[in-house]
Amino acid sequence: MTRRNLTLGSLRELGTVGLVAALCGTYAATLITTATIFTAVGSTDDGGSTAAVFLSIVSGVFILIALYVGAVVIVNAVDTVISGRLRHIALLRLLGASGRDLRTSVMRGTATVGSVGASSGILVGTGMTHLVRVILVRRGTLPEAAYPWFSPQLLGAFGAIVLAATAAGWLGSRVVLKVSPASALAGNAAHRPERRKASLVRATLATIVIVGGLLVLGLGGLLGETNPGAGFVVAFFGAAGSATGFLIGARFVIPGVVALCSRLLGSDPSSVVARRNAVMDPLRTTRATMGLVIGVTLVTTFASGTSALRASVAAWELDPTRRAEATQMLGVTSTVLICIIVISSIIAAVGFVSTMSLTVIQRHREIGLLRSLGFTRRQVRTMITKESVALSASAVTFGILLGLLYGTVGAQSLVGSQTQGIVWGLPFQAFAFIAVAGLALVLVASQRPAQRAVAVAPVEALRMDG
Amino acid sequence: MTSTPLQDNASQPVVSLRRVTRAYGDGHGTVVALDDVTVDIRRGEFTAIMGPSGSGKSTLMNVAAGLDDATSGDVVLGGATLSQLDDNARTTLRRSQVGFVFQAFNLVPTLSVAENIRLPFELAGRRVDAAERQWIDHLVRTLGLADRVGHRPSELSGGQQQRVAIARALASRPAVIFADEPTGNLDSRSSREVLTLLRTAAREYGQTIAMVSHDPVAASYADRILVIADGRLVADHGALSPQQISDLLIGFEVGAA
Ligand SMILES: Nc1ncnc2c1ncn2[C@@H]1O[C@H](COP(=O)(O)OP(=O)(O)OP(=O)(O)O)[C@@H](O)[C@H]1O
Ligand SMILES: [Mg+2]
Repeated sequence: MTRRNLTLGSLRELGTVGLVAALCGTYAATLITTATIFTAVGSTDDGGSTAAVFLSIVSGVFILIALYVGAVVIVNAVDTVISGRLRHIALLRLLGASGRDLRTSVMRGTATVGSVGASSGILVGTGMTHLVRVILVRRGTLPEAAYPWFSPQLLGAFGAIVLAATAAGWLGSRVVLKVSPASALAGNAAHRPERRKASLVRATLATIVIVGGLLVLGLGGLLGETNPGAGFVVAFFGAAGSATGFLIGARFVIPGVVALCSRLLGSDPSSVVARRNAVMDPLRTTRATMGLVIGVTLVTTFASGTSALRASVAAWELDPTRRAEATQMLGVTSTVLICIIVISSIIAAVGFVSTMSLTVIQRHREIGLLRSLGFTRRQVRTMITKESVALSASAVTFGILLGLLYGTVGAQSLVGSQTQGIVWGLPFQAFAFIAVAGLALVLVASQRPAQRAVAVAPVEALRMDG
Repeated sequence: MTSTPLQDNASQPVVSLRRVTRAYGDGHGTVVALDDVTVDIRRGEFTAIMGPSGSGKSTLMNVAAGLDDATSGDVVLGGATLSQLDDNARTTLRRSQVGFVFQAFNLVPTLSVAENIRLPFELAGRRVDAAERQWIDHLVRTLGLADRVGHRPSELSGGQQQRVAIARALASRPAVIFADEPTGNLDSRSSREVLTLLRTAAREYGQTIAMVSHDPVAASYADRILVIADGRLVADHGALSPQQISDLLIGFEVGAA
């Protein structure tokens, strides 16, 4: 207990970990409970059981995706908390604490907070779903049946979330090992994570997988012209492959995208500092935005895919009632899928907000220095907002582009033989939604931190113990 | 612009403190860091501020530069009474009239050495002209930073960081430079070079400098020596030799103990 407090300050700094675990828990419980309900319905009539099987497979995949995003967010949260306390940790090391002990204590911290979050999330998710179920049964939408209250898969979800939180705590605290006791003595040195070396192996692997995946994806699209069924399978593997490549190589790709986007910010001092902060630590940049990229890509893929399909259907020669039916079915499917998939964006957004506020807390001294050198409050506010804009705008843009590619090629591989050329899925509604959500995210992520930043007094830079 | 322009009146002080008190905390645990201090920092003068640790030197500097508010009393900087300015006006005033060298943590970590030095110009929104570029080059060379301009602060030693801060403070020729132990991290040779540079800036360019220091040798470069003990101004001398300064300080430390 004491050790953990020494390393991490209070457990409150791990609030993000708890929140993310709770979100994952709620999400998993909702999907799992819904699947059990469908199974129960399925035992009374036969339409439900295929839906139940389909739902449990789909929810398994989506829960894994959400868990992955959650783990990335937790790793980043832990890393950010610890990077801000390097000096303190170095002092502990100097006084004799071993790096391993400190890491174990961090891991225990995230495990504790993660299990509290996961269990409350699972309770909430299960409770809410059953509530909806009870209401639906009352209304007669669902039949009376023996609905089980508890599903053993919930235990699996709990275990998976706690495992992810624990592993993320371990990974996120890697920085502790790099803290040399001597750096506690480097009084004047500004503490910054050193440039982390890019590994050649990783870069090569990522390039091969990305290029290979994209080629396979293109092949799928081509096959769609002649052999739609096979085309879709090939395209799916191509998309999954290249996406995996982007995940492996995220730390090379994403900082580049952010650096490119943040060039548009301007060249006045607050923009320059904002830009530098956004790309200062490639790993931090990657982790802060990767979840958003994943979320936006998934949403755009589904939106773009169904919109391309709809556009194709509109071009077919069908009788009006069948066309209306097909369009409606596509609309419903895409809405349901997007609602299910949007959770990873929400988890990523939570992580993004917490990264932004933690970095401002950790940059107190730097902000004090900027203020004493003549940054006005307004310039400090601009600086924080622009950093948030640079990061989120890059993530959203990149995600949309990827999603468009996947969605359009996916649709092409399905119905390419029945359409002229390639039909681009441009879901303007979804774009508008993403743009509004992105803007809201920037505001939420930068408002409080900016307020905190402008409250920093210039003298804060001068405190020896910062 | 809300900042009042400096009047070119040589006899007028750049900074004046009138009965300034700065107390931290209230009630039982009040610490009076500055106690009724009245002093002028005169134009073109190199002033050393000395005194035991915790006597209020840094506080004096912060209050005089408008980084911190006085609990009571008035600070006039560049013709403007600080307590009457809002935060924006004060920031703009600081930006145009004051240069800083702090005790620690001087540089913006994400900016290179060159960018840190040019920051005051960028903030004022003006280009560095030819004469200023020459001046900056001269400073960078004199301070031994010529092959370091592209580096980030975290790649420099503590002493190098401090020298960059000195270059930054001198570069824009502000009305006054406040330096809190600018030679605290330097070896005796670099320390001598820095002090000579400061003295030259004061003598040749009329640069006003207020420097906090513990070191009698450093203070001996100054034209004027102020001593603070327990938040009060207890001595105000012209230039003195290191030996004389040591004797002066020993007197106060014994007195304080
Ligand atoms: N933020 C603060 N809150 C409370 N007390 C403070 C604060 N800052 C300074 N003090 C107190 O005010 C007094 C003067 O501090 P100051 O930093 O001005 O000393 P100093 O002369 O610069 O010392 P040093 O030579 O060690 O740097 C000290 O007793 C210190 O404890
Ligand atoms: Mg001091």
